[in-house]
Amino acid sequence: MTTGRPEEPAVSCRNIGVTFGEVTALADVSIDFPAGEIHAVVGQNGAGKTTLARSIAGIVRPDTGSMYIHGKDLDAGNVQSARAAGIELVHQSFALPPSFTVAEALEFGSGGGIGLFSQKELVRRSREHLDSLEMDIDPKSRIRDLPIELQQAVEIARALSSNARILILDEPTAVLPPPGIESLFQRIRKLRDSGVTIVLILHKTREIWAVADTITVLRSGEFVAGPLRCDQTEPDRVAEMIMGSETVEIEPGTGRVTGMTRPGHSDGPVPASVSPSGPVPAPGPALELSGVSTDDDTEGACLDDVSLSVERGEIVGIAGVEGNGQATLMRVLAGLSVFSAGRVEVCGRPANELNLAQRRSLGLRIIPFDRNSEGLSLTSTLWENWVAGELVSRPLFGLIKPSAIRERCMASMSEWGVRCRSARQHAGSLSGGNCQKLILARELDDAARAVIAAQPTRGLDIGATSFVWSTLRKARSGGCGILLISSDLDELFEISERILVMMSGRIVCELNPPFDIASAGRAMVGASA
Amino acid sequence: MTGKLDAILRPMAFILLATLLCGIVFQIAGYSAFLMFDSIVDGAFLGRRSLEKSLRWALPLFITAVGVGISFRCGFFNIGAQGQFYIGAICAAFAVESMAGAPPAIVVTLGMMAGMAGGALWAFWPGYLRLRTGADEVITTLMGNFIAGLILVYVTSGPLKDPSGSGQQASTRILPDELRISDAGGVSPTIIAIATAVGMVGWLLVNRTAFGALAGLAGRNPTMLRFQGGKIWQLGLASFLISGALAGLAGSVELFGPSGRIASGSLPAHGFTAILVALVASYAVPATAVAALFFGGLFSAALFLPILAGLPASAIDLFNATVALLITARISLDTWFHRLRRGRRDD
Repeated sequence: MTTGRPEEPAVSCRNIGVTFGEVTALADVSIDFPAGEIHAVVGQNGAGKTTLARSIAGIVRPDTGSMYIHGKDLDAGNVQSARAAGIELVHQSFALPPSFTVAEALEFGSGGGIGLFSQKELVRRSREHLDSLEMDIDPKSRIRDLPIELQQAVEIARALSSNARILILDEPTAVLPPPGIESLFQRIRKLRDSGVTIVLILHKTREIWAVADTITVLRSGEFVAGPLRCDQTEPDRVAEMIMGSETVEIEPGTGRVTGMTRPGHSDGPVPASVSPSGPVPAPGPALELSGVSTDDDTEGACLDDVSLSVERGEIVGIAGVEGNGQATLMRVLAGLSVFSAGRVEVCGRPANELNLAQRRSLGLRIIPFDRNSEGLSLTSTLWENWVAGELVSRPLFGLIKPSAIRERCMASMSEWGVRCRSARQHAGSLSGGNCQKLILARELDDAARAVIAAQPTRGLDIGATSFVWSTLRKARSGGCGILLISSDLDELFEISERILVMMSGRIVCELNPPFDIASAGRAMVGASA
Repeated sequence: MTGKLDAILRPMAFILLATLLCGIVFQIAGYSAFLMFDSIVDGAFLGRRSLEKSLRWALPLFITAVGVGISFRCGFFNIGAQGQFYIGAICAAFAVESMAGAPPAIVVTLGMMAGMAGGALWAFWPGYLRLRTGADEVITTLMGNFIAGLILVYVTSGPLKDPSGSGQQASTRILPDELRISDAGGVSPTIIAIATAVGMVGWLLVNRTAFGALAGLAGRNPTMLRFQGGKIWQLGLASFLISGALAGLAGSVELFGPSGRIASGSLPAHGFTAILVALVASYAVPATAVAALFFGGLFSAALFLPILAGLPASAIDLFNATVALLITARISLDTWFHRLRRGRRDD
């Protein structure tokens, strides 16, 4: 408030350069973020947005350049001095201790706090804070028991609990349901009005124009333009700047929804291997559940008499606020959870007694919720990740030829446009979009018949999102039955033939086109049947 | 490129640091650090026939350590190599007893197979408990070591007792020469061939089979592998059995080779040193050979320490413990390296 003269920008980066090993994450980036405004930073995955955020917050020490906060020199690469300067970062992947209660995480999550406290006092204080943010979270629940979206909500609440003057949010909307996004935006606007400078890393054009004052574009670690005033800038121009000279087709409707959309049918350029050309499948739906219920002891919300069927060649969306049984639904279909009643069929075959390896051999493929833990082993090499599913079906002690696998893997990587140097590099060295492409390359092979795609575009940029969508459409046209689990209505509207809404472990209604965002949103929160 | 360099530099850094720290400790305690290093280097590698003496300890260590590496790589911390080593030797000894009079080649071959089966059995039950009930394998295998040690005491002072023994240390009868695969020196073509075969099979297993690739994934991220339809219990049980069998093989090599008998409380640190070897080598088989030679050399040098430097032989234990400590602190060492590199670039 009294820090710095008003004409000084809140954050001023001068010639920031960051390299990780051989990879240049940021190259000579200079940006000024004026104080008291909401700034959106956009760019493709791997453009350097997260690195920029981390540099400002002191987590990453830039190799070159300097930073000024309200005109004062900042000791770069030092979290404490960044905090002291009033900078708070909400991470893309959450960093709260899983064993803490929400109240403890809010109090001590930022590493501060010595002295006595009473549990009661903590709970009371955090409840007040959560209420002021309109977050319906029990302060006594443990972080690890919360669904991913609530974990993020706590993370945001934690950042807001200190007196941050500059708040950086790394893809805050990626895991929030539509009502949650709107309340987050309201909160952000309120914070701006109280003088806080906010830097948001965002992907969706609609969200950027809904909340941000300015836009800054990064591409391949370089500064492209910004801060541009939102009200004087065309979304199409920003999209062009994001994509650069690349010829990735941005599909109509991508990221922009005006309230009503219809399922798209444009198929972008995707690899040929997604169209099944294997043996002729047995007749019957790709996936079928009848009357499936699970007991309390499985992970996540339990299923209550769920029946659904996904025909070959259709995409069925599962809408719902995360934590309403979607994860359990996927685990039941995958054969990773036991269920107490009901029947599961995969590709027309009764699958109750089949394990995942057997279901996979029938053509079941899974794009899991969390690509970093369920989808990939980040500390293993690309080829190991790519070939794992295939090796599972091979004899355990049969010989393999890694050099041949690496070659096939690299061929597949280039076919799917995964940017990588070698098949021996760790999956953790890929950007989020490339990680997801690696998973698609593995899962959507010739033998894929039934695909469960869980949040397949979470955290992806416009280009990668449109790639995933057209890939799924292509697989659909090739005869795959796809169950698309998403809390992103735009995504569901864009590519689903019909949508089932899930709440508290039940399918509460089925939506058919033309989809209406308002009624779907109401159904997700249980406001209407 | 850098990965390979790191794999060599890191274990060397551990050993160098440990040497330095131990030197400082002994210097402060009033011994000559220089004399200590000198006697270690001389006793382990440079002295007359010292390399051969180092090999005597290094070969069984290598066999056990390859197995330890396989189970660790799969994410299962089977620290029961010591017990599996004992049970292997005991089973081999019983096999010999039951085949008295048979042709030596058959007795030795079947005896070694019995040793491997015994070691595998001693790894099976902790593995089964871990995979079926979730019982922590670190606890069960560690407990298993004590039980195996007591079984060894019983066997050597009961069923297989050498009646002519002085009673100072209970042991079995010394095997007749035709059943021995080496003299007391412990280095013979047969033992070298066994170790080489173990190294080759181990390397193939890790680098050229589906098991090797999947076990590596299971060790790093079992969740991901489960989502790929992988059967963790199958991989886990296989890695438990393989590591137990190799420790049991090392036990029977001791029996048929340099020791010629089993004695209660013999080689009490074998299994634990093998864990150290596997850790220093980061579970890579060729590096395991180098590390085994190094720790075998240390063990052999320990016998010289009292003579040359006036140090107790257990000084080597301190050295081993320091290496273990540094390995446990691997992560902080990594960041330290990282900072060093950064610092250099900033200049």
